[in-house]
Amino acid sequence: MYNFEYLNPTSLEEVSEVLAHSDGETVLLAGGTDLLDRLKEHLLRPRQVVNLKNVRELYTIERNEGLTIGALVTIADLAADAYIQENYPALSQAARSIATPQIRNMGTVGGNLAQRPRCWYFRGVEYRCLKKGGRKCYAVEGLNKYHAIMGGGPCYIVHPSDLAPVLIAYGARVTISGANGTREIPLEQFFQLPAKDLKKENVLNENEMITRITLPPQPENTYSLYLKFKELESHDFAVVSVAVVLHTRKKRITDASLVLGGVAPIPWKIPEAGALLKGKELTEPAIQAVAEQSVKGSDPLPQNGYKVHLTRNLVRRALTEIQQQL
Amino acid sequence: MSKWKPLEKMKILGKKYPRIDGAEKVTGRARYTYDQFKEGMLYGAILGSRYPAAKIVKIDDSMVWSLPGVKAVLTDVHPTGRVRYVGEEIAAVAATTPEILGEALRLFRVEYEKLPFTLYLEEAMKDEAPRVFPRRSNVNKPRIREEGNVEQGFAQAEVVLEDTFRTQVQIQTPLESHGSMVYWDGDELIIYDSTQAVHGVREGIAKMLDMPLHKVRVICHHMGGGFGSKLQPGIYTVIAARLAKQANAPVRLMLDRQLEFLTTGNRPDSLSRIKMGAKRDGTITAFFAKTYGTAGIGNGAGVRLPIVYSIPNVRHEHHDVYTNAGAARPFRAPGCPQASFAMEQMMDEMAEKLGMDPLQFRLKNDSNPTRQKEWMIGAERFGWHRRKVTPASDPGPIKRGMGLGASIWWPGGRGTKASMKIYSDGSVEVFCGTQDLGTGTRTHIAAVAAEELGLELKQIKVHIGDSNYPRSGASGGSTTSPSVAPAIKNTAEKARQELGKILAEHWNVSPEAIIFSDGYVIASGEAKQRLSWKEACGLLETDVLEVHGEWSEGLSSSGVAGCQFAEVEVDTDTGKIRVLRIVAVADCGLILDRLTTESQVNGGIIQGISYALFEERLFDPQTGAMVNPNFETYKIVGTMETPEIEVILFDEPERGVIGIGEPPTIPTSGAIANAVYNAIGVRIKSLPMTPDKVLQALANQKA
Amino acid sequence: MSEKKNNKVKGITRRDFLKGLGSGAIGSAILTGGGLIPAESKAELLGPGAEKIHGTQKIELLINGKKERLTVEPRTTLLTAIRDKLHLTGTKEVCDRGQCGACTVLIDEKPMLACMMLAVDVRGKAITTVEGLSGSGKLTPVQEAFVEKDALMCGFCTPGFVMAATALLKKNPDPSLEEIKQGLAGNLCRCGTYPKVFEAVKAAAAKMRKGVAHE
Ligand SMILES: Cc1cc2nc3c(=O)[nH]c(=O)nc-3n(C[C@@H](O)[C@@H](O)[C@H](O)COP(=O)(O)OP(=O)(O)OC[C@H]3O[C@@H](n4cnc5c(N)ncnc54)[C@H](O)[C@@H]3O)c2cc1C
Ligand code: FES
Ligand code: FES
Repeated sequence: MYNFEYLNPTSLEEVSEVLAHSDGETVLLAGGTDLLDRLKEHLLRPRQVVNLKNVRELYTIERNEGLTIGALVTIADLAADAYIQENYPALSQAARSIATPQIRNMGTVGGNLAQRPRCWYFRGVEYRCLKKGGRKCYAVEGLNKYHAIMGGGPCYIVHPSDLAPVLIAYGARVTISGANGTREIPLEQFFQLPAKDLKKENVLNENEMITRITLPPQPENTYSLYLKFKELESHDFAVVSVAVVLHTRKKRITDASLVLGGVAPIPWKIPEAGALLKGKELTEPAIQAVAEQSVKGSDPLPQNGYKVHLTRNLVRRALTEIQQQL
Repeated sequence: MSKWKPLEKMKILGKKYPRIDGAEKVTGRARYTYDQFKEGMLYGAILGSRYPAAKIVKIDDSMVWSLPGVKAVLTDVHPTGRVRYVGEEIAAVAATTPEILGEALRLFRVEYEKLPFTLYLEEAMKDEAPRVFPRRSNVNKPRIREEGNVEQGFAQAEVVLEDTFRTQVQIQTPLESHGSMVYWDGDELIIYDSTQAVHGVREGIAKMLDMPLHKVRVICHHMGGGFGSKLQPGIYTVIAARLAKQANAPVRLMLDRQLEFLTTGNRPDSLSRIKMGAKRDGTITAFFAKTYGTAGIGNGAGVRLPIVYSIPNVRHEHHDVYTNAGAARPFRAPGCPQASFAMEQMMDEMAEKLGMDPLQFRLKNDSNPTRQKEWMIGAERFGWHRRKVTPASDPGPIKRGMGLGASIWWPGGRGTKASMKIYSDGSVEVFCGTQDLGTGTRTHIAAVAAEELGLELKQIKVHIGDSNYPRSGASGGSTTSPSVAPAIKNTAEKARQELGKILAEHWNVSPEAIIFSDGYVIASGEAKQRLSWKEACGLLETDVLEVHGEWSEGLSSSGVAGCQFAEVEVDTDTGKIRVLRIVAVADCGLILDRLTTESQVNGGIIQGISYALFEERLFDPQTGAMVNPNFETYKIVGTMETPEIEVILFDEPERGVIGIGEPPTIPTSGAIANAVYNAIGVRIKSLPMTPDKVLQALANQKA
Repeated sequence: MSEKKNNKVKGITRRDFLKGLGSGAIGSAILTGGGLIPAESKAELLGPGAEKIHGTQKIELLINGKKERLTVEPRTTLLTAIRDKLHLTGTKEVCDRGQCGACTVLIDEKPMLACMMLAVDVRGKAITTVEGLSGSGKLTPVQEAFVEKDALMCGFCTPGFVMAATALLKKNPDPSLEEIKQGLAGNLCRCGTYPKVFEAVKAAAAKMRKGVAHE
């Protein structure tokens, strides 16, 4: 790890001052479970590291008509929150599926959304890949078993966050604050494909931060589920994950949202799922149709074709599980 | 010839008792090499080659020196300047803090002349593949083993099967990485090393540094695992010693996880083409195998086929193949899990073809009398009769299956020396230059000594892990217990006899009448004399009785059997295999301690599951670097993957002490593979059996 | 924190930054337990303007109930601080990347990874290492059970497991086998002691419940 200057603001106001003076060599430190890994690998050499952990305002889970979650809320607190378990159960499931008990005590919601990809070429200092200013994506001709089957190119990372697919499925919005003010956008629009910008996975600017996530209230008879497939149950990133939120009235689906994790450089929304399910009951053929739709247009690399089967099967399984609750 | 007393007379051996260094380990007081510290100590690290094949043109260390806190640098670490794998040692540095060290490593400017390389077995075997050693073919000359006459054997066969199996490279990756803390005391070199062989390391390092043996001392009080990878002296120790000399300060050099994965050995992969013939009655008549394996730039990738079963006509041709990768080292039962994975599947395929139950087929072709008993015990406990006859007959996407496999092991151990001191206050010390890898050696030594002297474990102070102590061999090949336990027994027996003589004189009885039991020394027969151990020792005229002893024939033996049964669940939607249950019958001879024995068997099985389902070294074909040198992507079994394990200790005390560490890791992958077939009706013939392979196999089956 | 070398960042306050954050929200909000949530008094101690640490810094850490003074850099991890500066070597370094749990310590009673946090970040927190589990020098029920059940072989992973198990039983005094596995899923053991670890945690739980019942 290279040395850096450590800044320790205690309020958002102080953070804003710091960010206003940042010169592109400042990074934010929340739980550190991702940042320290990359610092140790010498993947970045920031001049300043800004610790966010003393900013009290960022630790709140606030109930309003929906729910507001501060960026510094830990994954463990998110998982343990009884209101979330009751009203946004898929979010609890996703939180519990993340990493290990120790890391859940450290890692934060903001850090989870802003974490960098786990691609072994990106994480290894020896590969100068596209993301690091190099000229090729090593995954294309290299080992790509865990890489993107959709939305890839020219870089084939998958987004590692388990919270993002669920939050998007619930229709979350993210509040971004920075030296130039505050904006709130749908979380879906927060992420962006490598084709748009190779160097980062989201729209955050250098001097911006995530301050909170807002979840809209869910109508009565909402069913939701997060299914994560990992090779190692003990702890592992998602090979493929499925987040589903269904709004229903009298067994009929009034709105459906399906977002996949682990398959694309961003949380991968299947917009057609809504159209396929709206107004219908969750029947076998409907489930089958959505499962097929979810892998339409997938374009696997030489070693990750299995993820297409896996995705289709997991979508089917997720919907079938909900069908049994209905 | 010395003999063990009968098991019924034993107070300690064969029973369950916790290890004597447990408290030290659970409180963090146990100091490993990684924990050694000395005033003024520097942190050392090695710079590994970035390329899998290259000539080192120049190493510029000026930037390294410019970093404050850097105290020593070596740029002549590599003997020839021609590197053959990523991570191969080319330079080294020592600095005052770990942080500075990390930065310093990145300041070497190395100029390489890159050369072509080859990484994978099949690729390296091709004629046009770049040569790992310019003047040698990548494919070594075959080693051929022949018994009987295979042509005749196949002529007798009524059913002949052929198949091919592939296993991966597995890395030992003990949690304490390889490394040493060294310092110079004048012209003497003191080395704390994380090693399986304090004496072996002393001899090796003395040779490498051209020093007399008595000037080198190697110490290893506790060590965090080795599994075969820490049997030899390390280049890192020599580097640490040189850095320490240059900086005139102690140096601790522990490998980081990446170099641990790249440079400290592995289990070679294998490609086995097998042909096997049998008669309709289930007798195997012939076996032919052509196998290949790569031990990187090293040798020793043999596959021990046909491993367990007794076949009259066998021919096996094996080729080691060089690749641009770190050399293999022994890894728990070298050559065996590879062979077992292939052989146990071959056995099941043949049994199916013959319409026989896999267990019956094995009983028919297994000449080991111990294992014959063990098969039956295991099958009963496991509930083998519940195995479904038709594979893949469970309804629904999640399917269960059962399988089995056999264990074997050959060598015993010999040659250990030990000494014992008994003081006039009754305290007892044992000295032995062996080491405890976590197998419980320290505890076993106390147990054997206490058993012999009629004392309790806690009365014996055990000193091991120091090359100043009497010589014992490396702890590898499951030889430690069969080698150490007899030596301790003989030493203690000698001490007992010496002390007995003194007491016999004191009581004026014959020495044979003296008995040591439950903390007392007793004169049996008419004399009816009795002294507590402490009182008895008080009679020692000199204040210490010192005796030396060594290993002898008759207290240990070689040849180990065993078998395992596995039940699995396969999710055909995801391709994931979950091991539900393993029943293992472990062949134990005379058990020293039931607890540590069970632990060893558990450990072997768990490493076997890990090998079967998760572990694999992955090289990037473009750069030759390992893409997964960490515990995130080099996956090993954790708590959630651990199934219910039932260990049945099959003891035959009359055989004396046998090694039990390696056999239990051998059959696990084969047993699991057979269970997977029983569950889904498709064979997975390549390790590790990951979801992608299972899904692929299922898709192929449908097509 | 008592060190007063801290520089303050100067500059204009960006009111914009706070816009839309709803300052009123905090009143009605539930403050979560938080991972490294600041102590109530922290803001006061630090005063207005962000604290800045550069180069080396003397800090104080509260480890095993004792105040320890040491000199660190901002990049010094807690693991390096306790192992290499304070020589508390019970906490092990294995992966140094958050993947194995060998460096597990308790921060305000929660298990966390010393290799993945900065020493300067845990000033003011109650840090417990394996050396500090039992003040009396006697083994804790968890440690005792690990020894009795042989839940260790080489022992290199053991302090991490002991810490994680201690934290687990604090939260859940009567865990099922499944809950034990989940609670310890962040700890790797290469020797394969898991089955005995499960037994030990069960036994420790029983012992501790009995102990509580007797009181
Ligand atoms: C062994 C291991 C296993 C893991 N498994 C999983 C898993 O299964 N699923 C999963 O989703 N993740 C996993 N992770 C990733 C884990 O790091 C994240 O889940 C965690 O939530 C990150 O949060 P943090 O607070 O520690 O982030 P940090 O490391 O502090 O920050 C991560 C990045 O986000 C930036 N950042 C942090 N906070 C903000 C903010 N408020 N605004 C803008 N930028 C910010 C930082 O600058 C940094 O670049 C794993 C990590 C490890 C080490
Ligand atoms: S050393 Fe910290 S988690 Fe492995
Ligand atoms: S006991 Fe050796 S790593 Fe766990």
